[in-house]
Amino acid sequence: MRQYETVFLIIPSLSEEETEGIILKMADIISKKKGKMISKEEWGKRKLAYPIKKFEEAFYVLFHYEGKREIPAELERRFKQTDAILRYLTVIKETKENFRGKRKKVSVEKEAAVPEERKEEKTDKAQQEFFSKEAVEEEK
Amino acid sequence: MAREQKIDRSPVRRYFPPRKKTCRFCERNVRDIDYKNIDILKRYVADRGKISPRRLSGTCAFHQRKLSIAIKRARLLALLPFIED
Ligand SMILES: [Zn+2]
Repeated sequence: MRQYETVFLIIPSLSEEETEGIILKMADIISKKKGKMISKEEWGKRKLAYPIKKFEEAFYVLFHYEGKREIPAELERRFKQTDAILRYLTVIKETKENFRGKRKKVSVEKEAAVPEERKEEKTDKAQQEFFSKEAVEEEK
Repeated sequence: MAREQKIDRSPVRRYFPPRKKTCRFCERNVRDIDYKNIDILKRYVADRGKISPRRLSGTCAFHQRKLSIAIKRARLLALLPFIED
């Protein structure tokens, strides 16, 4: 079992109900395939950095879930069939078990006592701190 | 005074000690660079949308690799532009 993160972009011209319908349909695939949705984020309509199929904005949705390989494969198959999906991207979330890094030895020793959830928080925090620190630097 | 001017004009390039650059991700102990965090990624693309080279940003090889993957992912999702004009 692995954790995956899928982001997909829905065209902005749909009604709220239609958009919600697509999201629910996609979320359904995960539960039907016995996956576990960890978090679901709707970023809403965002401006695209470049136009895609003449659309200037899109509705962004993020699924963070756990399950077998079939789930992202099935999701992507459905995305391809759905004309309302502009783009999608799935990445494997690096968790403690599948992280192979330069500093693996160090991190295993140091973070063995820290529960996994807290670790996740720590990296998020580090990034956030990074951002706020940088922002301050810029203001100066 | 005169001597200094002479040195400046000579074809031998003056030596400028390089400003010490450090990897800002190492400093903050960041392990993964998130492709969704465009505020950070934006600091590492030049105005044309290109990924800034290590020699300019000072990022270490490990983080530059992570950074370039993150930027490419963000581009795919139209969070960052491929080219900006
Ligand atoms: Zn580094």
